[in-house]
Amino acid sequence: MDFFHKIIELFSTPKYMESIWEGLKTTLIISVLAALIGLLLGTLLAIVAIAKDSKWTKLPKLICKIYITVIRGTPMALQLFIMAYVIFAIRGFPQIVTATIAFGLNSSAYVAENIRAGILSVDIGQTEAGRALGLPGRTTMLKIVIPQAIKNVIPAIGNELIALIKETSIVSMIGMYDLTMAAKIIGSGNNMASYIVPMTVVALFYLGIVYLLTFGIKLIEKRLRASDKR
Amino acid sequence: MISVKNIYKDFGTLRVLNAVSCEIKDGEKVVIIGPSGSGKSTMLRCMNLLESPTYGEIWLDGKLLTPADPYLHPAVMQTSKTYAKLYGKMPDEAEVIRAIKEKDLLKKHEGRAYQAALKEVEKQNQIDINLARQQMGMVFQHFNLFNNMTVLQNLTLAPVQLKLKSKEEAEQHAMQLLTRIGLQDKANVYPSTLSGGQKQRIAIVRALAMNPKVMLFDEPTSALDPEMVGEVLDLIRELADEGMTMVIVTHEMGFAREVADRILFMDGGQIVEEAPPAELFTSPQNPRTKEFLSKVL
Repeated sequence: MDFFHKIIELFSTPKYMESIWEGLKTTLIISVLAALIGLLLGTLLAIVAIAKDSKWTKLPKLICKIYITVIRGTPMALQLFIMAYVIFAIRGFPQIVTATIAFGLNSSAYVAENIRAGILSVDIGQTEAGRALGLPGRTTMLKIVIPQAIKNVIPAIGNELIALIKETSIVSMIGMYDLTMAAKIIGSGNNMASYIVPMTVVALFYLGIVYLLTFGIKLIEKRLRASDKR
Repeated sequence: MISVKNIYKDFGTLRVLNAVSCEIKDGEKVVIIGPSGSGKSTMLRCMNLLESPTYGEIWLDGKLLTPADPYLHPAVMQTSKTYAKLYGKMPDEAEVIRAIKEKDLLKKHEGRAYQAALKEVEKQNQIDINLARQQMGMVFQHFNLFNNMTVLQNLTLAPVQLKLKSKEEAEQHAMQLLTRIGLQDKANVYPSTLSGGQKQRIAIVRALAMNPKVMLFDEPTSALDPEMVGEVLDLIRELADEGMTMVIVTHEMGFAREVADRILFMDGGQIVEEAPPAELFTSPQNPRTKEFLSKVL
């Protein structure tokens, strides 16, 4: 009974709700902005990665490859620390910008790999048919390959966004006040004196966000699959 | 119409085409047959540069599609440093040219005059590959209809994107073509709902929507269920009767005999024998042709 009692107490105390709201705002801002950076930069990286080999693309392709390898091969927490304590170790530099950039860069490497795989998964015959009709490579890519690739990468991108939202919980490690941090602080307070209650509530918040996102992705997927028989 | 001049194609260390030359004349129907791995599909794909030949040139209506191949231009070879060097030793011009060709003596860098001569040949003859491809319809073994578009969009995409027709004109022409093959009611469905035979016939009219001068068929019936082969061959036969120039790679010997003006038999990356069908099927000269025909006929 004590558990439910405390849950009601949490929801009815403005102080607690404000804390959670503050944390939620940070989590959402970082997630949304990092996702945007990740998608844009990731697409760019994927385009470079699949470009034909030539003397102009050699260096960009190499840089791209190293970038993706390094980002995917090192822990997110470490990348966040490097951003916070090395690159942006400037007094008064807004932490939210640091975190957004760190998560955006991290996400871009995964998005790039997903998009690259999506483009490669489109049958080469589609490209050949387009080129054989006399369409330039760019038109073939834009009108034929990419529309089919998008359909293939939506589920993977969705996974990446879900992982990103949950991973933002480690910003508390550089002392930021996000949703997870809010739960910890509320739980350690004298009045609440219980971790399980705020942790459960915050878990439900994360679950809610992810559920909404999953729902949105399913909707997009369904619309894009209109041309399939499945 | 199409000239294939001494082309070689290497995939890594494997030589798939080895010094192949042929001429496709206006209105001619040429069928290429041969065992699998003989290079017939590669040769067809070289014609519209879906594969670029390692050496040699492809010409369409007097226009060069590939980069210029110096070995095919004696005048260019004469500007090379190698030629100058050899000319001192061998007095006869023709002999020097022959020696260079035979021993593959030209290097990557042969001096500025040579580069300029090569560029000049390209400048005078070369045509943009996309422009050339618009005049050559291609039909694939696996149809390759655009899965993200309806049948009508498949037919109108290229003419509209390339600004050859307005959207209305292209749609009107597409509907005429679909009516011709009796699939006008499929205009607004997606390819995934069609049978193989329907897909291939639509792929053929998609190529026709560009009003090509020549059609290239790459094993158009090999991926079809047996009962659908007939409808596709009927359509190709119709086009042949209308006088379309075509090059067909196929395993359908009966069809080849009936439609072809000339048959090329390929084996080991070379054209081993070429003759009108009546001749080639009844009295093949080359032992390899004989062996192949005895297996398939």
